[in-house]
Amino acid sequence: MIATASVEIHHETSKSLEEMIFETSKRALNSLGLSADDIDAFVLGGNDQIDGRIISIMPSTGPVGGVNHDTTMIASSSEHALIYGYLRIMAGQSKRVLVASWAKPSESVDPDRAELVSAEPYLLRSVGMNETISAALQASRFLNGKVVNTNEKFVAWPLTRKDLPGRGDSVHVVILAQEGSFEVESQFAWICDAGWATSSYELGARDLANFESLKIACNQITQRNLGSSPENWNAVEIGASSEYAVNAVTEFLQLKVGISVNASGCLSDQFTSPFVLGLSRMMRAIEVTKNAKSSKDRYLAAGIGFNGFAGQGAAVMVFSNTKGVHND
Amino acid sequence: MINVGIIGFGQSRFQTKRTDVTFPELVKEGADLALADAGITIKDVDAVVYPLAPDALIGVGNGERWVIDALGATGKPFMRVNNGGATGMSAVLTAWTHVASGLFDVVLVAGADRVSESGSAQSVLNKMWDVGYERTIPLNTITMLALSAQRYMHLYDSDETDMALVTVKNRKHASLNPYAHLRTPITVEEVLASRTLAWPIKLGDACPASTGAAGVVLVSERYAQRNNLKPAWIRGIGQNSETYWMGARVGAKSQGDHADADALAHAFDIAYKQAGITDPVNQIDVAEIYAPFSSVELHVIEAAHLAKKGKSPEGLRNGKFTLGGSGPVVNPSGGTQCTNPIAVTGTIRVGEAANQVLGRTGAHQVPNARVAIASAIGGDHQFYSTMVLCSDLEEIS
Amino acid sequence: MTTNKNASAKDGSSERFYEQTWDLQYKHALGRTVSRFLDGLAEGKIWGRRTTDGRVLVPARSYDDLTHEETGEWVEVANNGVIEMSTVVYEAFNGLPKPPYALAYVMLEGADTALVGYVKGLDLSVQSVAIEAVKIGSRVHVCFAKTPTGTAADYWFELDATS
Repeated sequence: MIATASVEIHHETSKSLEEMIFETSKRALNSLGLSADDIDAFVLGGNDQIDGRIISIMPSTGPVGGVNHDTTMIASSSEHALIYGYLRIMAGQSKRVLVASWAKPSESVDPDRAELVSAEPYLLRSVGMNETISAALQASRFLNGKVVNTNEKFVAWPLTRKDLPGRGDSVHVVILAQEGSFEVESQFAWICDAGWATSSYELGARDLANFESLKIACNQITQRNLGSSPENWNAVEIGASSEYAVNAVTEFLQLKVGISVNASGCLSDQFTSPFVLGLSRMMRAIEVTKNAKSSKDRYLAAGIGFNGFAGQGAAVMVFSNTKGVHND
Repeated sequence: MINVGIIGFGQSRFQTKRTDVTFPELVKEGADLALADAGITIKDVDAVVYPLAPDALIGVGNGERWVIDALGATGKPFMRVNNGGATGMSAVLTAWTHVASGLFDVVLVAGADRVSESGSAQSVLNKMWDVGYERTIPLNTITMLALSAQRYMHLYDSDETDMALVTVKNRKHASLNPYAHLRTPITVEEVLASRTLAWPIKLGDACPASTGAAGVVLVSERYAQRNNLKPAWIRGIGQNSETYWMGARVGAKSQGDHADADALAHAFDIAYKQAGITDPVNQIDVAEIYAPFSSVELHVIEAAHLAKKGKSPEGLRNGKFTLGGSGPVVNPSGGTQCTNPIAVTGTIRVGEAANQVLGRTGAHQVPNARVAIASAIGGDHQFYSTMVLCSDLEEIS
Repeated sequence: MTTNKNASAKDGSSERFYEQTWDLQYKHALGRTVSRFLDGLAEGKIWGRRTTDGRVLVPARSYDDLTHEETGEWVEVANNGVIEMSTVVYEAFNGLPKPPYALAYVMLEGADTALVGYVKGLDLSVQSVAIEAVKIGSRVHVCFAKTPTGTAADYWFELDATS
């Protein structure tokens, strides 16, 4: 990982989405003294419905610098875009990859309605479902009979505004490179491994408290790289749909005592959108790793993201401050 | 580099509507057909890459999450690609990366589309264009390609008869392909007499809105060896993008004229270099190249270096590119012009090309085919995916 | 909002359908550059922006996707030019205007990229006459709406009178 750049803002009215993407991509490239021509592949992550653009790879390729280059849009989640970029490096297919993902919900007159169309039309849509409601359903599973005492207004019981991720416009750009394709001083985090999986769509078919896809994702990492498994993490950034879920994930994964969880800030302090929340947390994990760069000890930080209602899909990426040998 | 091959291709029989299945059931059909053809079950699959172009056409946002149960892919690594019309093939290239990374041995790419389900496909596709400048103009896939066809005729002294020759060839091929949507042979006169959509594109030049499913299974070389499989090997891949702004594809300072497909040619060059193809006309036996309209096929043939710029009509008139003729055969399946389920149309190109080099196509088989190319186009002629397939891993000479 | 319809399948079982519409509304931020271009239409002007390699992009854009750099100087281009490509649409599409209508990409004098717009004031009833009128190389000028809406609908093209 050699560069990152992000912008997170409550409501961007003076710039178009494409301009925001252009500026953030340029910042990332400029920080390395690189131009778009130094990048072999561009991986984009965008959600048509939130942004109001059909086939959103079309207007966004130009801003990231993808014209005359290999560009792919991974539309299932922002974390998948980062993971695909990582796979390209692993395959030796690309030396340097730029990954960009974004969401501009301020352009959607009713972003909850835009989420509603992700509900299948036969039954779920008439019941009414969106990210907030599904987060509430999941959170209710974690109450264990506890009473929720609060003076705050519920957005969707048992969740108040403080329990939920903030909503705003954001663009995130990460530049990854194969070893040997970058200046040693510029790199600031190594990717140890990544795991991802998606479970059943049917909310009724899953136990929302049992993070099935997250478990599978972590198992993939543990099986390939025992040293990168959750009990070895020093820090974790979790992009879950509610603070209840963040706590539940921490317990579920049986993380190290004293591990730093969401040290970068709580969910409600972010300006984000469900589609990019996972990548934004992975980037925070990268930042945390960057800060440990000069440490002699191996420092692992993981980023966790979810996609789909109530965490249908999960993705995990583990970063390290040292290259090290895996499989220890 | 890890070698990647294709061991299975499944497709449904394409038609305008399928009222007997929900969208997820249709997707399952594609997945099941691909897995059956590969001789494996979903349990053998390590990861899934799902092709889905605009969600609006199937009416469910992030529709990939909805269909995962139908695919049988719950609990597996799963991601979705959306590169517009190139999606079906970009998803295969993404799956290629999955296998080439060394992390996965068996990857499934399967999906479906039901373009006619949405009554407003072209008004949905109108939203592809720029928010500030181009939404008040009714651009859509037909008008954008009408513009390209007009420029081609202008630059190369070509006419609508040349376009019609493509339709005649593709329909003839499709009549031999039981999976194709439009299979009725047609004459030049009938094409020229068909009603105009956006001049010069007439109904007889255009693809249908198809419904159906398709999928392919990719495997690593070590998996193929362990299981004694004989895949269609992917020898080269290439992707490229050009400017979104059609206004920048004309004039003295343009990078490439809208009449041509220079950015696609560049993508082919990347794939050819990897595969060791130096003389396309003599080394390539089959080309399954995405072209939703007759006019598009003319410049794609040229972008693939199977004819010089402006010369593909002459080749067609001389019987080239046609089953039974000499030299590379273009779209022996009938191509996208006869069958276009948008999300998977690129996957079908790959599957057809794979079957050709394995000698499994049936009536539209090109005799002794060993090397095939496949390509797809997405966006407003903006994204290009290309691939070279071969029945073996030996040098292509 | 939604209705179920029944039809009989071949085996006698009923086939139901569910009609749905996506009614999603957006308010897109256009940014300062696009906004200025659209304001220019109310003044009867077409604005372009110059790239770092000297090309004038019309309509104006704040950055260029080929150089991947910001654009600089504002350049007013002429209100007349030449058709680079065009088509006449005869087929009706759901949600799009009633045909026939003509569209063209026009290279205005001083610009290096072509601007898209309707070509109005033509008799499109006879196809062969229509396509000849808007053929590549035809000279056109820009017309502006008397009551601007602040959108790209505020301009269109009309053919120059031929001598």
